[in-house]
Amino acid sequence: MAYTKPIPDPEEYLNKPFWDGCKEGRLMLPRCEDCNRVHFYPRVLCPYCHSDRIDWIEASGEGYIHTYAVQHRAFGGYADETPFVTAFIDLKEGDRMLTVLRGVDPLKPEDIKIGAKVRVEFEAASDEVSIPFWRVVE
Amino acid sequence: MPSNPSMSAAIVGAAESNKIGFIEEGTTATRLHLEAINNVCKQTGIKPSEIDGVFSAGFSPQLGEHLGIHPKYLDTTAVGGASFVLHVHHALAAINAGIIDVALISHGEAGFSARKNRGNGTNRAGADDKWSVGNQFEVPYGIAGQPSNYAHAMTRHMHQFGSRKEDFAQIAVTTRDWATLNPRAVMHSKETHPFGGPITVQDVMDSRLIAWPLSLLDCCLVTDHGGAVLIASAEKARSLRTAPVWIAGAGESMSHWSMLEMEDFTATSARASSNTAYKMAGMGPGEMEMAMIYDSFTVTAGITAEMLGLTPRGEGPSLWADGKAGPGGSGIPVNTNGGGLSFSHSGMYGMMLLVEVYRQLSGTAEDGINGLPGKQVEAKTAVVNGTGGALSTTGTLVLVADD
Repeated sequence: MAYTKPIPDPEEYLNKPFWDGCKEGRLMLPRCEDCNRVHFYPRVLCPYCHSDRIDWIEASGEGYIHTYAVQHRAFGGYADETPFVTAFIDLKEGDRMLTVLRGVDPLKPEDIKIGAKVRVEFEAASDEVSIPFWRVVE
Repeated sequence: MPSNPSMSAAIVGAAESNKIGFIEEGTTATRLHLEAINNVCKQTGIKPSEIDGVFSAGFSPQLGEHLGIHPKYLDTTAVGGASFVLHVHHALAAINAGIIDVALISHGEAGFSARKNRGNGTNRAGADDKWSVGNQFEVPYGIAGQPSNYAHAMTRHMHQFGSRKEDFAQIAVTTRDWATLNPRAVMHSKETHPFGGPITVQDVMDSRLIAWPLSLLDCCLVTDHGGAVLIASAEKARSLRTAPVWIAGAGESMSHWSMLEMEDFTATSARASSNTAYKMAGMGPGEMEMAMIYDSFTVTAGITAEMLGLTPRGEGPSLWADGKAGPGGSGIPVNTNGGGLSFSHSGMYGMMLLVEVYRQLSGTAEDGINGLPGKQVEAKTAVVNGTGGALSTTGTLVLVADD
């Protein structure tokens, strides 16, 4: 079935290793070679120490729910999927990502646990682009 | 007395991006900005963390976020190619006033690469740049508009402090009570809107969900609105027929631009901006006799009340509890126009805060403020806070009525 929701047009410089990784089913994150901290989204300069020596690491694909919301109103392809849960994920390696959270019931928001463990998975939205999503695993 | 800004500041460094010209491999405006900033910091030995004012043609909060800094002065004056020369003028004024020490003026424009990049990577205001942080990492997850963002802050507040949806609902109820006294408020009465007039906590709880935990009545209106204010020197102000409202303190700050970079979902830079404003005014939150707090959502107002020091941490909604902040309430009056929730909110509500606080503190209430005879509140002092973006940027004012 065709993917009807917004498909990112991968930025071809800073974000390229990230989107290339997604296509291979690998979560790649930028890490500063000077202070060793991981950041997300990708930067020209490390947001912590301002070094321009940024490398990429393959992440564990594990994280935890930092906070969440249930979207009852959305646009484009997402309009057909309401209600759905969005969440900010604390990455095991540090910093955060946003996701549509999988493995939860959007009609029972009180049952979703902040701090619950999540794991990344990838959905091929097109031949060129795969998008990472996070699923509750406990 | 104002001091002459002449010679009060100097340009101390100037640098360019690593590459300029026809960059065949392509680049983006963001990269060009950041390379130049990196180079000028290395040239001068000034660390990015020492930059306390960011000036650019429309991209300043994003640059602050890229650098991971929390500047206390943001200027995005974009008036075409001359913008950067004007930025020097504005920076001079801010430095002369003692508000900032180090101003960054930054330019990054991928005029050549834009073609290769199919129009992306330009950071141009208003353009739907597919390479913006939002379009890369937020829009693919159905985030559209601020309710979808702000709801995450409310969930986290409820988790962290045990606050309840009902506590935030009371903010909407009390704010509506003010709107029922303001004939210009959209939600004044059944005459102004089919759903106007007083509401209850249960009404808020029962209204349809927009982005749980936010229900419809937790969200501001979307209206048409225009406003303007004039600010004059003290001397000029005293010569006019209108009553002056004195600017005792002012501050601004930012914590992030994208919600991806909001470190603490229960706190905003209103803490920093109000600290600056209170310090300039020589006053504290306990001396504020009314408050105008940006209420794009009930959660915005609740969190901001904490940041302004009007309630203890984690207890923001208590400012409104039992209608305390409403007409005739036992606390300080808050959002006396009926707020963005029930008066009017066109998308950028900050101007409406200013118009209302001027009317209240100048006593023009007596001339028919909001169409009503008589002064509404006795306040002689007010704290005003505006929040922008995704709980990103804030400005705080401490205003004082004329004697």
